Amino acid sequence: MLKEVSSAEFKETVNDGLVLADFFSTTCGPCKMLSFVLNDVEKEFGDDLKILKVDFDQNKDLTAEYGVTGYPTLILLKEGSEVARMQGLQQKPAIIKMIQEHK
Amino acid sequence: MSEQITYKFTEHLIEQQYAAEQAMLAELEAGNYTLDNPLVKYNAYLVNPLSAVVLFKTEEETAIKVTVLGKTPQANIYHTFPRAKTHVLPIVGLYSDYTNKVEISAYQGRTTVVEIQTPDVYNGVKPVYSMETTPEYLQDNIILVSPAGEDLASGFDYAGDARWHMNVACVFDVKRLKNGNLIMGSHRLIKMPYYMSGLYEISPCGKIYKEYRLPGGYHHDEFEMEDGNLLVLTDDFQGDTVEDMCVLIDRNTGEILKTWDYKKFLQPGLGKSGSWSDEDWFHNNAVWYDKNTNSLTFSGRHMDSMVNIDYDSGELNWIISDPTGWPQEWVDKYFFKPVGDDFEWQYEQHACVITPDGDVMCFDNHHYGSKNRDEYLSAKDSYSRGVRYKINVKERTIEQVWQYGKERGAEFFSPYICNVEYYNEGHYMIHSGGIAYMNGEPSELLGAFAKQQGGDLRTITVEICNGKKELELQVPGNYYRAEKLKLYSDGINLELGKGQILGKMGVTPTFDTDVPAEVTGQLLPESCNASVNEEFDRFTFKSRFEKGQLVMLLLEGENETRRYFISTTAVPHLAMCCGTFLDSDERNTRTMVNKAGLSGTYDVRVIIDDKKYETGIRITA
Repeated sequence: MLKEVSSAEFKETVNDGLVLADFFSTTCGPCKMLSFVLNDVEKEFGDDLKILKVDFDQNKDLTAEYGVTGYPTLILLKEGSEVARMQGLQQKPAIIKMIQEHK
Repeated sequence: MSEQITYKFTEHLIEQQYAAEQAMLAELEAGNYTLDNPLVKYNAYLVNPLSAVVLFKTEEETAIKVTVLGKTPQANIYHTFPRAKTHVLPIVGLYSDYTNKVEISAYQGRTTVVEIQTPDVYNGVKPVYSMETTPEYLQDNIILVSPAGEDLASGFDYAGDARWHMNVACVFDVKRLKNGNLIMGSHRLIKMPYYMSGLYEISPCGKIYKEYRLPGGYHHDEFEMEDGNLLVLTDDFQGDTVEDMCVLIDRNTGEILKTWDYKKFLQPGLGKSGSWSDEDWFHNNAVWYDKNTNSLTFSGRHMDSMVNIDYDSGELNWIISDPTGWPQEWVDKYFFKPVGDDFEWQYEQHACVITPDGDVMCFDNHHYGSKNRDEYLSAKDSYSRGVRYKINVKERTIEQVWQYGKERGAEFFSPYICNVEYYNEGHYMIHSGGIAYMNGEPSELLGAFAKQQGGDLRTITVEICNGKKELELQVPGNYYRAEKLKLYSDGINLELGKGQILGKMGVTPTFDTDVPAEVTGQLLPESCNASVNEEFDRFTFKSRFEKGQLVMLLLEGENETRRYFISTTAVPHLAMCCGTFLDSDERNTRTMVNKAGLSGTYDVRVIIDDKKYETGIRITA
């Protein structure tokens, strides 16, 4: 599953299983590129992974809660707890490696 | 080629210089040039506009003395060349914007004076604020400063007059090699913000003898080993981190003989300095080989550490750093305990040096001045200094035995770059090359960024001998390092023949993920102001995009497509040791692609958001 979520939707979903949160901005080229990468990542994991896209500018409560200071930022959460984080544009193999290490 | 996209093929400087040299030598052969009527070629090697070459023949083998007349007799620069019948004499140490007079004297014979008019190579900007020293102290040495920003390399004599200059951006360190040549970073940028293709071995008159290319490029520092081979700081561009690798290269072939990957003896994320980042976790800015212990010392700005390893095994010997925050097992095994009075650790230091008796020196930038974020110093409360530590490796003690700079406070504070030089006991250079002010106050921004926002930059270089200040040079701009040297050496000074391009470029990392885009068949919009500059082993694509656009450079060949992502979002850098290549307009991008790994002919195309554009340019590798 890959979808953009509001703060409320994020909080409803984040405590269940493996979640990859993508803090992005609509004004950011690398964020746009990362969206295409995440489309490919989703195909690798199917239902085993939820990818939640969080608009950095629209969800200041979440960015503060998770200490996100820039975009794009990827945070991998397992049952609601952060297990890994990546900052900046990443390639598919690096993201897959991070997920597999914490699956 | 298209009208909207500028294309240019640039020959390597070595090729350009060879062509110029051949033409110069042909002119010598075609004419009747004698001591009384020599051929004078201003800036013969194209990159040093304060140099020339004088050529003539004598009937008998004759030694020739050259005297570049100074504005005062103490400023004369001279050299005697060995006996020959054909004389091709490099002239260095000319003044800018001046009718220079150069005496050419046959050994124990007559003298001819040639005049060489130079342009104003500084375009009306005075390159020096002040030089306080004496001709007795500095003699015919110059203080050479190497670029960390838009100001290019220059050298200043005792009077503060510029006597050496380069018109291309050879950045980072400059050192004199044992053969008299200089070694410095090439001017060929291969990755932003400051990773260069390699190093030039070059004569002071500007002739490049060798380019040592490296797959991971060059940054910050190099060190000549006793056998002439070179330790060079480099990167693995296929990896996720930067500035954490050193190689030993063969001086004759450029081949990499040995590699040190710092992740094998350090742990990224430990000992974080205030400027630490995931990618640039160590920020290696200096390397030093100590033959007495057969060890290497690396300076890591983002670990606040000077780290020593065994040259052969690569095993960690010791770490000089504030131990705050380090795991206790690391502290117990590798760290030193301070003894004596007035001890202070170094923070975000540069330019580690091992003295002949084993002491460790560095330029302690003292940026942030603490491991504890709550105790970070503001710029106005900061200071930088040259510092010398005596270490006892067996007892794991460290004592501060000298420092210069703390007493000057913020006026000597450089949060980045800089170096110290050890000349002899009690005789040092301390180069604070990264001073910046914003609105008259010490800047919290590094100089490269302060400059972009209207700040004022300054460099102060000091020499101390037995506690007495013998020299202080103040120049506008930030300069990475300073080096004291004579323009003529006991070496060859100018060797004729074609230079060599050694080593190899690496494969430029590509982006795997495809971006669906509509094929427009149209040229890249004129507003992109795009250009391609091709060289024999790479090309550079420059273009302007709007912030936030998704941009991908494509090389589409018969059998493959290579994708290079272009970021249109400014990346915040916590380090910027060389801001020479930063653009004042954030929309302007610069993408370098090496030809290594490419095969055949490729169409250059560009995706902007969901549309694919043509450039009309093809690259063949």
